[in-house]
Amino acid sequence: MFQNRAEALALALPAAIFAAAVFLVPVVILLSDGFRSPAGGWTISAYTDFFSNSLNQTVFLRTLRLGALVTIASAVIGYAAAFAIVSLEPGAKGKVTGLVVLPLMISPVARTYAWIVILGRTGIVNQAFQALGITEAPLRILFSETAIFIGLLQLFLPLMIISLISALENMPKDAIPAALVLGANWFQVFWKVVLPLTKEGLVIGGTLVFTGSLTAYITPAILGGSKVLMLETLLYQQVAVSNNFVAASVIAFILIVMSFAANILLKRVATARNKQRSQA
Amino acid sequence: MTLRSLFIPITLLLVIAFLIGPFLIIVAASFSAGETLAFPPQGFSLRWIAKVFTVESFRASFGMSLFLAIGGTAAALILGIPASYALSRYKLPGAEIVRTIVSAPIIVPGIIVGLALLRYIVVPFQVGITLALFLAHTALVLPYAVRVVSASLDNLRSDIEEAAVLLGSSRLGAFFRVVMPNIRGGIMSAFILGFVTSFNQVPVSLFLSGPGVRTLPVDMIAYMEIVFDPSVAALSSLLAFLSIGIVFIAERFLGFSRYV
Repeated sequence: MFQNRAEALALALPAAIFAAAVFLVPVVILLSDGFRSPAGGWTISAYTDFFSNSLNQTVFLRTLRLGALVTIASAVIGYAAAFAIVSLEPGAKGKVTGLVVLPLMISPVARTYAWIVILGRTGIVNQAFQALGITEAPLRILFSETAIFIGLLQLFLPLMIISLISALENMPKDAIPAALVLGANWFQVFWKVVLPLTKEGLVIGGTLVFTGSLTAYITPAILGGSKVLMLETLLYQQVAVSNNFVAASVIAFILIVMSFAANILLKRVATARNKQRSQA
Repeated sequence: MTLRSLFIPITLLLVIAFLIGPFLIIVAASFSAGETLAFPPQGFSLRWIAKVFTVESFRASFGMSLFLAIGGTAAALILGIPASYALSRYKLPGAEIVRTIVSAPIIVPGIIVGLALLRYIVVPFQVGITLALFLAHTALVLPYAVRVVSASLDNLRSDIEEAAVLLGSSRLGAFFRVVMPNIRGGIMSAFILGFVTSFNQVPVSLFLSGPGVRTLPVDMIAYMEIVFDPSVAALSSLLAFLSIGIVFIAERFLGFSRYV
Protein backbone atom coordinates (compact mmCIF):
# COMPACT_ATOMS: atom_id res chain seq x y z
CA MET A 1 0.00 0.00 0.00
CA PHE A 2 1.32 3.40 -0.98
CA GLN A 3 0.37 6.23 1.34
CA ASN A 4 0.70 9.29 -0.90
CA ARG A 5 -2.82 10.77 -1.03
CA ALA A 6 -2.14 13.43 -3.65
CA GLU A 7 -0.75 10.82 -6.02
CA ALA A 8 -3.74 8.53 -5.40
CA LEU A 9 -6.20 11.31 -6.12
CA ALA A 10 -4.35 12.39 -9.26
CA LEU A 11 -4.64 8.82 -10.57
CA ALA A 12 -8.27 8.22 -9.64
CA LEU A 13 -9.92 11.59 -10.13
CA PRO A 14 -9.86 11.86 -13.95
CA ALA A 15 -11.96 8.69 -14.29
CA ALA A 16 -14.29 9.69 -11.45
CA ILE A 17 -14.76 13.23 -12.77
CA PHE A 18 -15.36 11.94 -16.29
CA ALA A 19 -17.99 9.43 -15.15
CA ALA A 20 -19.64 12.05 -12.94
CA ALA A 21 -19.77 14.70 -15.69
CA VAL A 22 -20.78 12.50 -18.61
CA PHE A 23 -22.99 10.08 -16.77
CA LEU A 24 -23.96 10.79 -13.17
CA VAL A 25 -24.92 14.48 -13.32
CA PRO A 26 -26.97 14.26 -16.57
CA VAL A 27 -28.80 11.15 -15.35
CA VAL A 28 -29.61 12.72 -11.97
CA ILE A 29 -30.95 15.87 -13.67
CA LEU A 30 -33.00 13.69 -16.05
CA LEU A 31 -34.50 11.76 -13.13
CA SER A 32 -35.33 14.96 -11.24
CA ASP A 33 -37.38 16.22 -14.21
CA GLY A 34 -40.22 13.86 -13.33
CA PHE A 35 -40.53 15.36 -9.84
CA ARG A 36 -40.48 19.01 -10.88
CA SER A 37 -43.73 20.92 -10.92
CA PRO A 38 -44.26 23.35 -13.84
CA ALA A 39 -45.08 26.06 -11.28
CA GLY A 40 -41.80 25.50 -9.46
CA GLY A 41 -41.24 23.25 -6.46
CA TRP A 42 -41.58 19.48 -6.31
CA THR A 43 -44.47 17.16 -7.01
CA ILE A 44 -45.27 13.54 -7.76
CA SER A 45 -48.17 14.40 -10.05
CA ALA A 46 -46.25 13.14 -13.10
CA TYR A 47 -46.22 9.71 -11.43
CA THR A 48 -49.92 9.70 -10.57
CA ASP A 49 -50.65 10.85 -14.15
CA PHE A 50 -48.45 8.12 -15.55
CA PHE A 51 -50.05 5.32 -13.56
CA SER A 52 -53.60 6.54 -14.14
CA ASN A 53 -53.20 6.05 -17.88
CA SER A 54 -54.42 2.57 -18.85
CA LEU A 55 -51.90 2.14 -21.68
CA ASN A 56 -49.06 2.88 -19.25
CA GLN A 57 -50.51 0.43 -16.71
CA THR A 58 -50.65 -2.25 -19.39
CA VAL A 59 -47.05 -1.62 -20.43
CA PHE A 60 -45.82 -1.54 -16.81
CA LEU A 61 -47.56 -4.79 -15.92
CA ARG A 62 -46.47 -6.43 -19.18
CA THR A 63 -42.84 -5.51 -18.44
CA LEU A 64 -43.05 -7.01 -14.93
CA ARG A 65 -44.90 -10.08 -16.22
CA LEU A 66 -42.41 -10.75 -19.01
CA GLY A 67 -39.49 -10.20 -16.62
CA ALA A 68 -40.97 -12.69 -14.15
CA LEU A 69 -41.94 -15.29 -16.79
CA VAL A 70 -38.57 -15.14 -18.54
CA THR A 71 -36.79 -15.50 -15.17
CA ILE A 72 -38.92 -18.50 -14.13
CA ALA A 73 -38.61 -20.21 -17.51
CA SER A 74 -34.86 -19.67 -17.61
CA ALA A 75 -34.53 -21.08 -14.08
CA VAL A 76 -36.45 -24.26 -15.00
CA ILE A 77 -34.60 -24.79 -18.29
CA GLY A 78 -31.36 -23.58 -16.70
CA TYR A 79 -31.42 -26.25 -13.96
CA ALA A 80 -32.07 -29.02 -16.49
CA ALA A 81 -29.31 -27.75 -18.79
CA ALA A 82 -26.81 -27.11 -15.99
CA PHE A 83 -27.44 -30.60 -14.52
CA ALA A 84 -26.88 -32.16 -17.92
CA ILE A 85 -23.70 -30.13 -18.50
CA VAL A 86 -22.04 -30.80 -15.12
CA SER A 87 -22.67 -34.53 -15.56
CA LEU A 88 -20.60 -34.56 -18.78
CA GLU A 89 -16.96 -35.56 -18.95
CA PRO A 90 -14.49 -32.65 -18.57
CA GLY A 91 -13.65 -32.36 -22.29
CA ALA A 92 -17.26 -32.46 -23.47
CA LYS A 93 -18.27 -30.14 -20.63
CA GLY A 94 -15.91 -27.41 -21.85
CA LYS A 95 -17.18 -27.67 -25.43
CA VAL A 96 -20.86 -27.63 -24.49
CA THR A 97 -20.30 -24.70 -22.11
CA GLY A 98 -18.57 -22.93 -25.01
CA LEU A 99 -21.66 -23.48 -27.18
CA VAL A 100 -23.87 -22.06 -24.42
CA VAL A 101 -21.65 -18.97 -24.06
CA LEU A 102 -21.22 -18.47 -27.82
CA PRO A 103 -24.49 -16.55 -28.35
CA LEU A 104 -23.30 -13.92 -25.83
CA MET A 105 -20.60 -12.90 -28.33
CA ILE A 106 -23.12 -12.35 -31.12
CA SER A 107 -24.83 -8.99 -31.56
CA PRO A 108 -28.27 -9.00 -29.88
CA VAL A 109 -29.65 -7.38 -33.05
CA ALA A 110 -28.57 -10.41 -35.10
CA ARG A 111 -29.87 -12.85 -32.50
CA THR A 112 -33.24 -11.14 -32.30
CA TYR A 113 -33.52 -10.71 -36.06
CA ALA A 114 -33.38 -14.50 -36.48
CA TRP A 115 -36.77 -14.83 -34.79
CA ILE A 116 -38.39 -12.83 -37.59
CA VAL A 117 -37.38 -15.61 -39.98
CA ILE A 118 -38.68 -18.24 -37.60
CA LEU A 119 -41.87 -16.65 -36.27
CA GLY A 120 -42.97 -14.45 -39.20
CA ARG A 121 -46.08 -15.00 -41.38
CA THR A 122 -44.11 -17.12 -43.84
CA GLY A 123 -41.65 -18.28 -41.20
CA ILE A 124 -40.62 -21.79 -40.28
CA VAL A 125 -43.19 -22.22 -37.52
CA ASN A 126 -46.09 -21.15 -39.74
CA GLN A 127 -44.83 -23.30 -42.63
CA ALA A 128 -44.70 -26.31 -40.32
CA PHE A 129 -48.11 -25.63 -38.78
CA GLN A 130 -49.73 -25.25 -42.20
CA ALA A 131 -48.02 -28.33 -43.62
CA LEU A 132 -49.24 -30.35 -40.64
CA GLY A 133 -52.73 -28.91 -41.05
CA ILE A 134 -52.75 -27.35 -37.58
CA THR A 135 -53.88 -24.01 -38.97
CA GLU A 136 -55.28 -22.84 -42.30
CA ALA A 137 -54.18 -19.22 -42.26
CA PRO A 138 -50.75 -18.22 -40.92
CA LEU A 139 -50.75 -17.50 -37.19
CA ARG A 140 -49.73 -14.09 -35.99
CA ILE A 141 -46.86 -14.91 -33.65
CA LEU A 142 -44.58 -12.00 -34.43
CA PHE A 143 -45.35 -8.67 -32.73
CA SER A 144 -46.85 -10.33 -29.68
CA GLU A 145 -45.90 -10.95 -26.06
CA THR A 146 -45.12 -14.54 -26.99
CA ALA A 147 -42.52 -13.41 -29.52
CA ILE A 148 -40.91 -11.05 -26.99
CA PHE A 149 -40.90 -13.83 -24.39
CA ILE A 150 -39.13 -16.23 -26.77
CA GLY A 151 -36.61 -13.58 -27.83
CA LEU A 152 -35.78 -12.55 -24.24
CA LEU A 153 -35.50 -16.15 -23.10
CA GLN A 154 -33.00 -16.92 -25.86
CA LEU A 155 -31.06 -13.74 -25.13
CA PHE A 156 -30.67 -14.30 -21.37
CA LEU A 157 -30.83 -18.07 -20.83
CA PRO A 158 -27.02 -18.45 -21.19
CA LEU A 159 -26.49 -16.15 -18.16
CA MET A 160 -28.72 -18.37 -16.01
CA ILE A 161 -27.09 -21.59 -17.23
CA ILE A 162 -23.58 -20.28 -16.47
CA SER A 163 -24.59 -19.14 -12.95
CA LEU A 164 -26.19 -22.51 -12.23
CA ILE A 165 -23.25 -24.51 -13.62
CA SER A 166 -20.86 -22.86 -11.18
CA ALA A 167 -23.36 -23.25 -8.32
CA LEU A 168 -23.81 -26.97 -9.06
CA GLU A 169 -20.05 -27.47 -9.32
CA ASN A 170 -19.54 -25.89 -5.91
CA MET A 171 -22.10 -28.21 -4.34
CA PRO A 172 -20.59 -31.02 -2.20
CA LYS A 173 -20.19 -34.04 -4.51
CA ASP A 174 -21.86 -36.53 -2.15
CA ALA A 175 -24.93 -34.45 -1.25
CA ILE A 176 -27.18 -36.03 -3.88
CA PRO A 177 -26.07 -39.67 -3.39
CA ALA A 178 -26.43 -39.20 0.37
CA ALA A 179 -30.00 -37.94 0.02
CA LEU A 180 -30.86 -40.82 -2.35
CA VAL A 181 -29.41 -43.41 0.04
CA LEU A 182 -31.49 -41.92 2.82
CA GLY A 183 -34.60 -42.61 0.75
CA ALA A 184 -35.40 -39.24 -0.85
CA ASN A 185 -37.03 -39.29 -4.30
CA TRP A 186 -35.73 -37.06 -7.12
CA PHE A 187 -38.25 -34.33 -6.40
CA GLN A 188 -37.22 -34.20 -2.74
CA VAL A 189 -33.55 -34.25 -3.73
CA PHE A 190 -34.08 -31.17 -5.85
CA TRP A 191 -36.33 -29.31 -3.45
CA LYS A 192 -34.57 -30.10 -0.14
CA VAL A 193 -30.93 -30.52 -1.21
CA VAL A 194 -30.06 -29.01 -4.59
CA LEU A 195 -32.18 -25.87 -4.40
CA PRO A 196 -30.91 -24.71 -0.96
CA LEU A 197 -27.30 -25.47 -1.92
CA THR A 198 -27.47 -23.63 -5.26
CA LYS A 199 -29.66 -20.75 -4.08
CA GLU A 200 -26.93 -18.15 -4.61
CA GLY A 201 -26.32 -19.18 -8.20
CA LEU A 202 -30.06 -19.08 -8.83
CA VAL A 203 -30.33 -15.58 -7.33
CA ILE A 204 -27.32 -14.27 -9.28
CA GLY A 205 -28.60 -15.75 -12.55
CA GLY A 206 -32.15 -14.66 -11.77
CA THR A 207 -31.11 -11.06 -11.12
CA LEU A 208 -29.15 -10.90 -14.36
CA VAL A 209 -32.06 -12.36 -16.34
CA PHE A 210 -34.72 -10.26 -14.59
CA THR A 211 -32.94 -6.89 -14.89
CA GLY A 212 -31.81 -7.77 -18.42
CA SER A 213 -35.42 -8.49 -19.44
CA LEU A 214 -36.84 -5.38 -17.76
CA THR A 215 -34.36 -3.10 -19.47
CA ALA A 216 -34.13 -4.83 -22.85
CA TYR A 217 -34.74 -2.53 -25.78
CA ILE A 218 -33.81 -4.48 -28.91
CA THR A 219 -36.08 -7.48 -28.32
CA PRO A 220 -39.36 -5.61 -27.75
CA ALA A 221 -38.46 -3.11 -30.50
CA ILE A 222 -37.96 -5.83 -33.12
CA LEU A 223 -40.34 -8.58 -31.92
CA GLY A 224 -43.05 -6.45 -30.28
CA GLY A 225 -43.39 -3.79 -32.95
CA SER A 226 -44.98 -0.44 -32.20
CA LYS A 227 -48.09 -1.92 -30.56
CA VAL A 228 -46.81 -4.40 -27.99
CA LEU A 229 -44.62 -2.09 -25.89
CA MET A 230 -42.39 -2.65 -22.89
CA LEU A 231 -41.14 0.17 -20.64
CA GLU A 232 -37.98 0.78 -22.72
CA THR A 233 -39.84 0.95 -26.03
CA LEU A 234 -42.52 3.12 -24.38
CA LEU A 235 -39.76 5.47 -23.19
CA TYR A 236 -38.38 5.63 -26.72
CA GLN A 237 -41.84 6.43 -28.14
CA GLN A 238 -42.48 9.11 -25.51
CA VAL A 239 -39.31 10.89 -26.62
CA ALA A 240 -39.17 10.20 -30.35
CA VAL A 241 -42.90 10.38 -31.13
CA SER A 242 -44.62 12.42 -28.40
CA ASN A 243 -41.73 14.62 -27.24
CA ASN A 244 -42.95 13.98 -23.70
CA PHE A 245 -39.79 14.29 -21.63
CA VAL A 246 -41.60 14.26 -18.29
CA ALA A 247 -43.12 10.84 -19.02
CA ALA A 248 -39.70 9.68 -20.24
CA SER A 249 -38.18 10.77 -16.92
CA VAL A 250 -40.89 8.91 -14.99
CA ILE A 251 -40.24 5.70 -16.96
CA ALA A 252 -36.48 6.12 -16.51
CA PHE A 253 -36.96 6.44 -12.75
CA ILE A 254 -39.16 3.33 -12.62
CA LEU A 255 -36.59 1.33 -14.60
CA ILE A 256 -33.72 2.46 -12.39
CA VAL A 257 -35.63 1.74 -9.17
CA MET A 258 -36.43 -1.77 -10.40
CA SER A 259 -32.82 -2.46 -11.50
CA PHE A 260 -31.43 -1.15 -8.20
CA ALA A 261 -33.91 -3.16 -6.17
CA ALA A 262 -32.81 -6.32 -7.98
CA ASN A 263 -29.12 -5.45 -7.49
CA ILE A 264 -29.59 -4.75 -3.77
CA LEU A 265 -31.30 -8.11 -3.41
CA LEU A 266 -28.29 -9.68 -5.10
CA LYS A 267 -25.86 -8.00 -2.69
CA ARG A 268 -27.98 -9.06 0.29
CA VAL A 269 -27.79 -12.69 -0.77
CA ALA A 270 -24.05 -12.41 -1.37
CA THR A 271 -23.34 -10.90 2.07
CA ALA A 272 -25.66 -13.39 3.80
CA ARG A 273 -23.58 -16.11 2.20
CA ASN A 274 -20.30 -14.56 3.36
CA LYS A 275 -21.61 -14.32 6.92
CA GLN A 276 -22.60 -17.98 6.85
CA ARG A 277 -19.16 -18.89 5.54
CA SER A 278 -17.32 -16.86 8.16
CA GLN A 279 -19.43 -18.34 10.96
CA ALA A 280 -18.84 -21.87 9.74
CA MET B 1 -31.75 -47.02 -22.62
CA THR B 2 -33.55 -45.78 -19.59
CA LEU B 3 -35.40 -42.53 -19.38
CA ARG B 4 -32.66 -41.04 -17.24
CA SER B 5 -29.82 -41.83 -19.61
CA LEU B 6 -31.82 -40.13 -22.38
CA PHE B 7 -32.47 -37.03 -20.27
CA ILE B 8 -28.97 -35.59 -20.64
CA PRO B 9 -28.53 -35.78 -24.45
CA ILE B 10 -32.10 -34.68 -25.16
CA THR B 11 -31.93 -31.70 -22.79
CA LEU B 12 -28.61 -30.58 -24.23
CA LEU B 13 -29.80 -31.00 -27.80
CA LEU B 14 -32.96 -28.95 -27.20
CA VAL B 15 -31.21 -26.17 -25.27
CA ILE B 16 -28.38 -25.83 -27.77
CA ALA B 17 -30.81 -25.94 -30.69
CA PHE B 18 -32.76 -23.11 -29.04
CA LEU B 19 -29.64 -21.04 -28.36
CA ILE B 20 -27.65 -21.63 -31.56
CA GLY B 21 -30.35 -22.67 -34.06
CA PRO B 22 -31.65 -19.17 -34.82
CA PHE B 23 -28.11 -18.03 -35.55
CA LEU B 24 -27.56 -20.93 -37.99
CA ILE B 25 -30.82 -20.03 -39.72
CA ILE B 26 -29.61 -16.45 -40.16
CA VAL B 27 -26.37 -17.72 -41.65
CA ALA B 28 -28.27 -20.01 -44.05
CA ALA B 29 -30.69 -17.21 -44.99
CA SER B 30 -27.83 -14.89 -45.88
CA PHE B 31 -26.75 -17.23 -48.71
CA SER B 32 -30.22 -17.17 -50.27
CA ALA B 33 -30.67 -16.25 -53.92
CA GLY B 34 -34.23 -15.03 -53.31
CA GLU B 35 -35.47 -11.46 -52.96
CA THR B 36 -36.91 -11.74 -49.46
CA LEU B 37 -35.68 -13.07 -46.16
CA ALA B 38 -36.76 -16.70 -45.93
CA PHE B 39 -35.85 -20.10 -44.59
CA PRO B 40 -35.20 -22.56 -46.14
CA PRO B 41 -33.21 -20.24 -48.45
CA GLN B 42 -34.25 -20.10 -52.10
CA GLY B 43 -31.18 -21.26 -54.00
CA PHE B 44 -27.62 -20.32 -53.17
CA SER B 45 -25.82 -17.09 -53.93
CA LEU B 46 -23.39 -14.62 -52.47
CA ARG B 47 -25.37 -11.61 -53.70
CA TRP B 48 -26.57 -10.48 -50.26
CA ILE B 49 -23.13 -10.87 -48.73
CA ALA B 50 -21.83 -8.74 -51.62
CA LYS B 51 -24.67 -6.24 -51.23
CA VAL B 52 -23.72 -5.52 -47.61
CA PHE B 53 -20.50 -3.92 -48.82
CA THR B 54 -22.28 -1.68 -51.31
CA VAL B 55 -24.90 -0.18 -48.98
CA GLU B 56 -23.56 3.31 -48.30
CA SER B 57 -25.17 3.72 -44.86
CA PHE B 58 -23.76 0.39 -43.66
CA ARG B 59 -20.27 1.46 -44.65
CA ALA B 60 -20.58 4.78 -42.86
CA SER B 61 -22.14 3.30 -39.72
CA PHE B 62 -19.65 0.43 -39.65
CA GLY B 63 -16.84 3.00 -39.69
CA MET B 64 -18.55 4.91 -36.89
CA SER B 65 -19.04 1.80 -34.75
CA LEU B 66 -15.45 0.73 -35.30
CA PHE B 67 -14.20 4.19 -34.35
CA LEU B 68 -16.36 4.21 -31.18
CA ALA B 69 -15.39 0.68 -30.18
CA ILE B 70 -11.65 1.29 -30.61
CA GLY B 71 -11.52 4.95 -29.53
CA GLY B 72 -14.03 4.65 -26.70
CA THR B 73 -12.35 1.55 -25.27
CA ALA B 74 -8.89 3.14 -25.55
CA ALA B 75 -10.15 6.27 -23.77
CA ALA B 76 -11.82 4.14 -21.08
CA LEU B 77 -8.53 2.32 -20.51
CA ILE B 78 -6.54 5.56 -20.36
CA LEU B 79 -8.92 6.74 -17.61
CA GLY B 80 -9.47 3.32 -16.09
CA ILE B 81 -5.92 1.95 -15.68
CA PRO B 82 -4.68 4.78 -13.39
CA ALA B 83 -7.98 4.65 -11.43
CA SER B 84 -7.67 0.88 -11.00
CA TYR B 85 -4.05 1.31 -9.90
CA ALA B 86 -5.06 3.93 -7.33
CA LEU B 87 -7.89 1.71 -6.06
CA SER B 88 -5.73 -1.36 -5.69
CA ARG B 89 -2.38 0.07 -4.51
CA TYR B 90 -3.09 3.28 -2.59
CA LYS B 91 -4.96 4.30 0.53
CA LEU B 92 -7.39 6.37 -1.47
CA PRO B 93 -9.71 8.70 0.46
CA GLY B 94 -13.27 7.98 -0.65
CA ALA B 95 -12.24 4.83 -2.51
CA GLU B 96 -15.75 3.37 -2.31
CA ILE B 97 -17.28 6.54 -3.80
CA VAL B 98 -14.82 6.50 -6.69
CA ARG B 99 -15.49 2.80 -7.29
CA THR B 100 -19.25 3.37 -7.29
CA ILE B 101 -19.11 6.36 -9.64
CA VAL B 102 -16.90 4.69 -12.24
CA SER B 103 -18.88 1.45 -12.20
CA ALA B 104 -22.34 3.04 -12.13
CA PRO B 105 -22.88 3.20 -15.92
CA ILE B 106 -23.21 -0.59 -15.94
CA ILE B 107 -26.29 -0.59 -13.69
CA VAL B 108 -28.26 2.21 -15.34
CA PRO B 109 -30.08 1.16 -18.53
CA GLY B 110 -28.32 2.47 -21.63
CA ILE B 111 -31.34 4.22 -23.08
CA ILE B 112 -31.42 6.50 -20.01
CA VAL B 113 -27.70 7.31 -20.33
CA GLY B 114 -28.22 8.23 -23.99
CA LEU B 115 -31.27 10.39 -23.30
CA ALA B 116 -29.61 12.19 -20.36
CA LEU B 117 -26.55 12.91 -22.49
CA LEU B 118 -28.69 14.25 -25.32
CA ARG B 119 -30.76 16.50 -23.07
CA TYR B 120 -28.09 17.84 -20.74
CA ILE B 121 -24.80 17.68 -22.65
CA VAL B 122 -25.53 17.69 -26.39
CA VAL B 123 -28.27 20.33 -26.44
CA PRO B 124 -27.05 22.85 -23.82
CA PHE B 125 -23.35 22.68 -24.73
CA GLN B 126 -23.84 22.30 -28.50
CA VAL B 127 -21.74 19.13 -28.50
CA GLY B 128 -21.57 17.29 -31.84
CA ILE B 129 -23.24 13.88 -32.13
CA THR B 130 -19.98 12.09 -32.87
CA LEU B 131 -18.31 13.52 -29.76
CA ALA B 132 -21.40 12.69 -27.69
CA LEU B 133 -21.34 9.09 -28.94
CA PHE B 134 -17.65 8.92 -28.12
CA LEU B 135 -18.26 10.19 -24.56
CA ALA B 136 -21.19 7.81 -24.08
CA HIS B 137 -19.26 4.75 -25.29
CA THR B 138 -16.26 5.69 -23.14
CA ALA B 139 -18.49 5.95 -20.05
CA LEU B 140 -20.14 2.66 -20.98
CA VAL B 141 -16.85 0.76 -21.26
CA LEU B 142 -15.20 2.39 -18.20
CA PRO B 143 -16.82 0.00 -15.65
CA TYR B 144 -15.56 -3.04 -17.60
CA ALA B 145 -12.08 -1.54 -17.93
CA VAL B 146 -11.83 -0.83 -14.20
CA ARG B 147 -13.23 -4.22 -13.23
CA VAL B 148 -10.94 -6.29 -15.46
CA VAL B 149 -7.77 -4.24 -14.86
CA SER B 150 -8.43 -4.18 -11.09
CA ALA B 151 -8.81 -7.95 -11.12
CA SER B 152 -5.45 -8.44 -12.80
CA LEU B 153 -3.76 -5.88 -10.50
CA ASP B 154 -5.17 -7.67 -7.46
CA ASN B 155 -3.67 -10.92 -8.74
CA LEU B 156 -0.23 -9.33 -8.99
CA ARG B 157 1.91 -9.13 -5.84
CA SER B 158 2.42 -5.49 -4.94
CA ASP B 159 5.81 -6.05 -3.27
CA ILE B 160 7.60 -6.39 -6.62
CA GLU B 161 6.96 -2.77 -7.51
CA GLU B 162 7.78 -1.69 -3.95
CA ALA B 163 11.07 -3.55 -4.43
CA ALA B 164 11.66 -1.70 -7.71
CA VAL B 165 11.09 1.62 -5.94
CA LEU B 166 13.47 0.64 -3.12
CA LEU B 167 16.07 -0.27 -5.71
CA GLY B 168 15.93 3.29 -7.02
CA SER B 169 13.28 3.23 -9.75
CA SER B 170 10.80 6.11 -9.84
CA ARG B 171 7.16 5.22 -9.11
CA LEU B 172 6.29 5.88 -12.75
CA GLY B 173 9.25 3.83 -13.98
CA ALA B 174 8.25 0.96 -11.69
CA PHE B 175 4.72 1.08 -13.10
CA PHE B 176 5.80 0.95 -16.74
CA ARG B 177 8.69 -1.49 -16.31
CA VAL B 178 7.32 -3.81 -13.64
CA VAL B 179 3.53 -3.56 -13.43
CA MET B 180 2.52 -2.99 -17.06
CA PRO B 181 4.28 -6.07 -18.50
CA ASN B 182 2.55 -8.20 -15.87
CA ILE B 183 -0.98 -6.92 -16.46
CA ARG B 184 -0.75 -6.80 -20.25
CA GLY B 185 -3.08 -9.81 -20.58
CA GLY B 186 -5.66 -8.15 -18.38
CA ILE B 187 -5.48 -4.92 -20.37
CA MET B 188 -5.88 -6.76 -23.68
CA SER B 189 -8.83 -8.69 -22.26
CA ALA B 190 -10.41 -5.45 -21.03
CA PHE B 191 -9.90 -4.02 -24.51
CA ILE B 192 -11.62 -6.95 -26.21
CA LEU B 193 -14.49 -7.01 -23.72
CA GLY B 194 -14.91 -3.25 -24.14
CA PHE B 195 -14.71 -3.48 -27.92
CA VAL B 196 -17.42 -6.15 -28.16
CA THR B 197 -19.64 -4.35 -25.60
CA SER B 198 -19.35 -1.04 -27.39
CA PHE B 199 -19.73 -2.49 -30.87
CA ASN B 200 -22.94 -4.38 -30.02
CA GLN B 201 -24.43 -1.61 -27.90
CA VAL B 202 -27.78 -0.22 -29.05
CA PRO B 203 -29.78 1.64 -26.35
CA VAL B 204 -27.05 4.20 -25.50
CA SER B 205 -26.70 5.20 -29.15
CA LEU B 206 -30.42 5.26 -29.92
CA PHE B 207 -31.04 8.95 -29.25
CA LEU B 208 -27.55 9.97 -30.30
CA SER B 209 -27.98 9.89 -34.04
CA GLY B 210 -27.92 12.71 -36.52
CA PRO B 211 -27.93 13.10 -40.28
CA GLY B 212 -25.57 10.42 -41.58
CA VAL B 213 -24.23 9.71 -38.08
CA ARG B 214 -25.38 6.40 -36.63
CA THR B 215 -23.86 3.29 -35.13
CA LEU B 216 -24.10 0.07 -37.11
CA PRO B 217 -26.60 -1.84 -34.94
CA VAL B 218 -28.94 1.18 -34.83
CA ASP B 219 -28.60 1.48 -38.60
CA MET B 220 -29.42 -2.22 -38.99
CA ILE B 221 -32.62 -1.85 -36.95
CA ALA B 222 -33.65 1.15 -39.05
CA TYR B 223 -32.89 -0.74 -42.27
CA MET B 224 -34.83 -3.87 -41.32
CA GLU B 225 -37.92 -1.78 -40.57
CA ILE B 226 -38.00 -0.61 -44.19
CA VAL B 227 -36.45 -3.37 -46.32
CA PHE B 228 -37.18 -7.05 -45.87
CA ASP B 229 -34.31 -8.52 -47.87
CA PRO B 230 -31.58 -10.87 -46.59
CA SER B 231 -28.87 -8.19 -46.44
CA VAL B 232 -29.31 -7.63 -42.69
CA ALA B 233 -29.03 -11.40 -42.23
CA ALA B 234 -25.83 -11.39 -44.28
CA LEU B 235 -24.43 -8.49 -42.28
CA SER B 236 -25.42 -10.15 -39.00
CA SER B 237 -23.60 -13.35 -40.00
CA LEU B 238 -20.47 -11.43 -40.99
CA LEU B 239 -20.45 -9.52 -37.69
CA ALA B 240 -21.11 -12.65 -35.67
CA PHE B 241 -18.17 -14.47 -37.28
CA LEU B 242 -16.01 -11.39 -36.71
CA SER B 243 -16.77 -11.24 -32.96
CA ILE B 244 -16.57 -15.02 -32.50
CA GLY B 245 -13.20 -14.89 -34.26
CA ILE B 246 -11.92 -12.09 -32.03
CA VAL B 247 -13.05 -13.80 -28.83
CA PHE B 248 -11.66 -17.17 -30.01
CA ILE B 249 -8.24 -15.69 -30.77
CA ALA B 250 -8.30 -13.81 -27.45
CA GLU B 251 -9.13 -16.98 -25.54
CA ARG B 252 -6.43 -18.93 -27.39
CA PHE B 253 -3.64 -16.41 -26.78
CA LEU B 254 -4.64 -14.55 -23.62
CA GLY B 255 -6.81 -16.92 -21.65
CA PHE B 256 -9.45 -14.20 -21.97
CA SER B 257 -12.04 -15.99 -19.78
CA ARG B 258 -9.78 -15.75 -16.69
CA TYR B 259 -10.41 -12.01 -16.58
CA VAL B 260 -14.07 -11.73 -17.47
